[in-house]
Amino acid sequence: MARNAVILAGGQCKWGVREAHLVDLFQEAAKACFDDIPTLKPKDVDGLIVASSYAGRCSFQVNTAPVIAERVGVKPTSICTRCDTLCAGGSTGIILAMGLVQAGAADIVMVAGGEKLYTPQKWEVFYSELASVDHDWDGVHGMGLPPPFFALTAQEHMMHYGTTKEQLAAVSVANYNYATTNPVAQMQKALTLEEAMNAPVVVPPLTLYDCCPITDGAAVCIITTDEIARKFTDRPLVYIRGTAQVCLNSVSANFPGVHLADWKHTRIAAEKAYTRAKVSASDIKVAQTHDCFSISEVIEVEDLGFCKKGEGGEFCGSKQIEIGGKVPINTDGGLLACGHPFGATGIRQGTEIMKQLQGRARHQVKDADIGLTHNLSGANAEHTILIYGKEPVK
Amino acid sequence: MAVLGIPILEDLYPSTMDMWPLEAKEFNRNWMFYENLKQGRLTTTKCKDCGLVSYPPRVICPECYSENLEYIDLPKKGKVIVFSEEVKGVPLGFQSPLIHAVIDLGVDPARRVLSRITNCAAGTLQRGDEVQLAVFPVPALPIDKGKLGTIMSERVFFAFEPVKK
Repeated sequence: MARNAVILAGGQCKWGVREAHLVDLFQEAAKACFDDIPTLKPKDVDGLIVASSYAGRCSFQVNTAPVIAERVGVKPTSICTRCDTLCAGGSTGIILAMGLVQAGAADIVMVAGGEKLYTPQKWEVFYSELASVDHDWDGVHGMGLPPPFFALTAQEHMMHYGTTKEQLAAVSVANYNYATTNPVAQMQKALTLEEAMNAPVVVPPLTLYDCCPITDGAAVCIITTDEIARKFTDRPLVYIRGTAQVCLNSVSANFPGVHLADWKHTRIAAEKAYTRAKVSASDIKVAQTHDCFSISEVIEVEDLGFCKKGEGGEFCGSKQIEIGGKVPINTDGGLLACGHPFGATGIRQGTEIMKQLQGRARHQVKDADIGLTHNLSGANAEHTILIYGKEPVK
Repeated sequence: MAVLGIPILEDLYPSTMDMWPLEAKEFNRNWMFYENLKQGRLTTTKCKDCGLVSYPPRVICPECYSENLEYIDLPKKGKVIVFSEEVKGVPLGFQSPLIHAVIDLGVDPARRVLSRITNCAAGTLQRGDEVQLAVFPVPALPIDKGKLGTIMSERVFFAFEPVKK
């Protein structure tokens, strides 16, 4: 019989413009994670999965797993590897760790994600981001930096569903305001609708607060079995109930939806994850969506099934994403305010859902028992969903 | 002030910093796409066994895994579905305004090709505008041929530009 996987602990370093090297950030995040579970020691960890996509370009470091293992003081004996799925790297790492511990191929796996994106010359990171997408067919058109792509997406959503700029701004306001109490978030300023509406233009219709910032940072979590976890903690256990990762295209010309605001791959991933977790969209009490841009969250609430297709703008604009609303989302600030060091994001999201389900989140959702995290990556190429619960799937 | 950059790279070509495809036959089995582009043709591959047209071109059919492929022409004119204009934060190698558009070329699978729009002033493009293929030269690829020395392989790339009304 397969074992049940749980997320035992998690932590992150301060995210933002960091005066630090990539491996410094991993060490800080590992410390934060062990601080979260003081009974667990580095020697107890037998597996390491490192999620980092830009180490090779921005830190001139590939084969990162052994480098990070040594720096954070773990000595893996079951798995020591890196995964590179850009923005979904952390979530992918958790899925892989889940499979390993369920199968008995590892017992206690550290999933560590991080990126150092600020380089001594700023032009270099913008240039390197051209490698985020298919180099020869999209990057070469200057599509590596996502704002133009998501500006097109926002235009199509506005065109087909009548979504307004004010509804986009409502997402930024909600997420920024959650982050005001999060000491490790990159942005910790309260944001008003007026400020969001009057912000400088990035790529129309997206303005400054519609776009997540460039971020240095790392996050670490621990995945193990429920039986092992009970030896280390009395906290409620948080099970990984179901996951899915869907990739139907990479080159933008082959986008799978009818238009850019129609995210077929999100819907397939959600359906699979819900089925595996034996829950439905209406069971989700708290969620972490991939709000790399405000428009992403608007489309995600639709294609994750929290509201009808086309009604995401109204859903977000009417406070359904806030505490007291239908599904509180990005209660730690999300990508818009926490920042987005690609490989670290899925781990931050999982850690926040773990805290919500254990009743110890900063912005606690009452009686949260089922939570969801969602990442997209590339030029909206890949969608990754994890569903966590206080009980295992029976 | 010290010389900026990395002195050991003087007169050397690092392909890891090249924003253009390595189009030459020596490094890319899709080299015919670029040869056709030099003739002003936008092409892609069609599988002669199962009939699947793929964009971008392939060296093996992703449907039936046949290697029996041929290059076919795609339309050189299309219509703008949506477009975006990036004025600030344009990455190195591109000029402001950096304009992108989803273009309908009117044939499958190229009904929604995302391309850069060139030769177009900010604020002038409109949805529904007709655009046409624009081929332009890009820096040549220096290829080390051993005793023969380094040859310079000419390269081009493409964008779309407004059709003059």
